[in-house]
Amino acid sequence: MSNVHERLRRLLFLVPYVSKHPGVTVDALAKALNISREDLLEELDLLTCVGRPPFNPDDYIDIYVDNDRVYVDLDQRLFAPPRLTAGEAAALAAAAELLRPATGDALQSALTKLEGIIPPAARERFRDMYRKIDASADAPPALGPLTRAILERLEVTFGYASPGRAPEPRRVRPYELLSHRGQWYLQGFCHTRQDARLFRLDRMEDLAVTTTAFQPPPDARADVPNPARSASEASVRVRFTPTAAPYVKERFGQDARPLADGGVEVRVAGDSERWLTQWVLSFGGEAEVLEPASARAAVARAVHASIGS
Amino acid sequence: MDRTERILDLVALLLDAREPISWAELREHFPADYGGSDDAAERKFERDKAELVELGFPLSYVQGDDERRDGYLVDRNVYYLPEADLTKEELAVLYAAGSAALASGAFPGRDDLAHALRKIGFFAGESLPTPRVRMELGTGQEGQEKEVSARLEQLWDACSAHKWVQITYGSPRKDGVTERRVDPYGLALRRGVWTLVGYCHLRQGLRTFHVHRIRELKVNTARPRTPDFEVPADFSLDAHVAYFPWQYRFHEPMEVTLQLTGPQASRAGSLFPGAALEPVGEGVVRARFPVTFLDGLARFVLSLGADCRMEGPPEARERLERMAANILAKHAPVEGQRVSA
Repeated sequence: MSNVHERLRRLLFLVPYVSKHPGVTVDALAKALNISREDLLEELDLLTCVGRPPFNPDDYIDIYVDNDRVYVDLDQRLFAPPRLTAGEAAALAAAAELLRPATGDALQSALTKLEGIIPPAARERFRDMYRKIDASADAPPALGPLTRAILERLEVTFGYASPGRAPEPRRVRPYELLSHRGQWYLQGFCHTRQDARLFRLDRMEDLAVTTTAFQPPPDARADVPNPARSASEASVRVRFTPTAAPYVKERFGQDARPLADGGVEVRVAGDSERWLTQWVLSFGGEAEVLEPASARAAVARAVHASIGS
Repeated sequence: MDRTERILDLVALLLDAREPISWAELREHFPADYGGSDDAAERKFERDKAELVELGFPLSYVQGDDERRDGYLVDRNVYYLPEADLTKEELAVLYAAGSAALASGAFPGRDDLAHALRKIGFFAGESLPTPRVRMELGTGQEGQEKEVSARLEQLWDACSAHKWVQITYGSPRKDGVTERRVDPYGLALRRGVWTLVGYCHLRQGLRTFHVHRIRELKVNTARPRTPDFEVPADFSLDAHVAYFPWQYRFHEPMEVTLQLTGPQASRAGSLFPGAALEPVGEGVVRARFPVTFLDGLARFVLSLGADCRMEGPPEARERLERMAANILAKHAPVEGQRVSA
């Protein structure tokens, strides 16, 4: 998209926004438009030159900054933004699919209403474009209540099955949901463990949103799980054949050490035996644990268990 | 006059007009812009008009009659964004998903999405939710976000304008790269990875490409408003992109039967979506489904442990047993190493 196009879209939104929020601060307006303060001030300068012929003084947009707040006195009929374009509606509808089916009826009704605010002439194009992105991520049902609990700042309880252990009850302040490589995680403060924790949504059961409110910390951002970067002492050396090497290199980048035969070697955290064995087995015969011997034995045990020998 | 300024002036003029505005009047109003030769002025105005239409500006040309003169007019009822009356919950869904997609750094149509979010939030005032949903999408490894994001944006434009793209593609299955011209039909996200589906002129057929493996990408810029191809009416993205490794279309479909017990039995539906499930005893479920890449399934079954068994056909069992034997051979105890069981 050209810069002119982006700028026009921004400016056609800016004037109505100030009209609706008279006295909005320069910083808040810049944030709403996702541009820098300097760029915003430049845009405001340009707008004072915009108007309609015959360009008498009253024909110009009268927008100004006073005491770091923005006001508009003459909006020249730009009091509401333009409708959604087909592309805008399609991108939003495709993004909404990320949370399907967790969001249930709310998603479907939202999409119906969305279609209602596109100009009728653009609807066919919207449907055509919407079909061009398929982002259905098979979101787990727990996303719905967890999103609500995060927004409403309410604690949640659930049973959590750590690998190899029976589910145990947890009470958690939910901070953030994170999807990484198709797996959903909840980051939050666990009362049971008195510590920040990352929970996999597929290991939760009997999730309930309580009525206990909490104040989240200002910046609770979960770290993306990366087995090659974990700080664990118990590291495991895994060798991959030349067949699997390109895929492992693609995933681990420089953390994958090239070997003379064209294969690669990776060091990963070995503190979760279940994760490690599942991961190694998922490469069929293309991965081999080199050390420690206990991890090699764990893989062999897992294979025996799988084939019932 | 700056082009942005001129187009905004046109918007202000047309939004205020009660009568159609003729081309002659427009030339009078903007003498510096639409002056010069007739041809040059008309071409300039045609470009501005195209921009207005792209912005969603409902501009039409009315043929005059006795009552009315010829000229351009805008339907104000169609221009202004109406309130969508989204409930709190609906707004939360669109906001959470939309901002998660934006924050992910890799979602096609990012600019469009950002504008859409602003617009649906226009009437919501202070009640806009602050979503805390984050997704890591589209990249094979850390540090690729920017490249993937830029390519998704180009592909989004190419998909919507039906323009072909030229790609340099590096597949891990082969050394080196290939150059291909592809008609982009659509983009699909599976397990955090973006896939382009389109007609590949090199292979003369529909192919899928992981976006993070595209090294270079150019969109055909010739005649930008004329489509290069049509997407067949019966095309469906879902039919071409695998959710699970055993759905890669490497072989003819083969029906397999698995037996699931214990905790895996209750998860059968989510582990193998679309499989025909049948209870065969207390806490035991049999799952049947077609497989087009047997190795992919064998690996997954092995990783599920003792509660998932391959029942048949014999060919599938043999494949799994061979794979298991291979892993066991690789993990036989090494002499001199102590093994704690």
